[in-house]
Amino acid sequence: MSEDEIRKELLIIERSKKDAQAFGELYEKYFDRIFNYILRQTDDEELAGDLCSQSFVNALNNLKKYEFRGFPFSAWLYKIAGNEVNKHYRKNKGKKIFSIEELKVRELVEQATDDWDEELITRLLHYMNELPTEMVQVLELRFFEDKDFKEIAFILDMTESGAKMRTYRALDKLRTNFNLKVRYNG
Amino acid sequence: MSARGSERYRNYGSVLKQHGEGKKIKTITRIFTFFFIIIALILVFIVVSRWEEKQTIKKTSMVSHQYANKS
Repeated sequence: MSEDEIRKELLIIERSKKDAQAFGELYEKYFDRIFNYILRQTDDEELAGDLCSQSFVNALNNLKKYEFRGFPFSAWLYKIAGNEVNKHYRKNKGKKIFSIEELKVRELVEQATDDWDEELITRLLHYMNELPTEMVQVLELRFFEDKDFKEIAFILDMTESGAKMRTYRALDKLRTNFNLKVRYNG
Repeated sequence: MSARGSERYRNYGSVLKQHGEGKKIKTITRIFTFFFIIIALILVFIVVSRWEEKQTIKKTSMVSHQYANKS
């Protein structure tokens, strides 16, 4: 995200603090991304829709507290959405899931190796869905949402080195099990 | 799993409505809290002034009692 875009967003945020209607622009911009992020953690469209709305309501309610800390505004929205999902699982005492879309796994494999087939994709999908949620979450934010480690740490409420370590471990598992060499960029 | 259905849930109007309702509840809660604080302060003031009144009456009756005893 360019500095100009960040500045533009900050102006919208300032306007939104006085007039909630102005926040609609950011809602339209980030709705799909936040919805998909929640959907991957719930696997239920209706629930994702509800939690997504609630996340935006929370964002709007707390907009006055928002301060720019060097991350794009989206990181703050991801954090709120993640908290909303966690709250849902705590309340319903359910087991948290995190599924990854086939298309995204394909992208990752294509980037890592030229030598791939459908069977590898199927095996990898199955394998990734079996990985601990925290690992998939980090991989998802790093490679599919293009977040840097600072942003991931902010979203998941952990240290930057913790986020790097978790990514490294997840990639190491992929390396040993599938001979996939995904660039770590730590 | 597809996200194509996300359009069904995209509704900024309802987000605004929920935000407005939340704001209203917050304002009402604030007004009530303010009201209760004022009531509590008035009650404290009444209790303290009554206590002071009682103390003054006690003192005056003690002084008059002592005066009566002396005379």
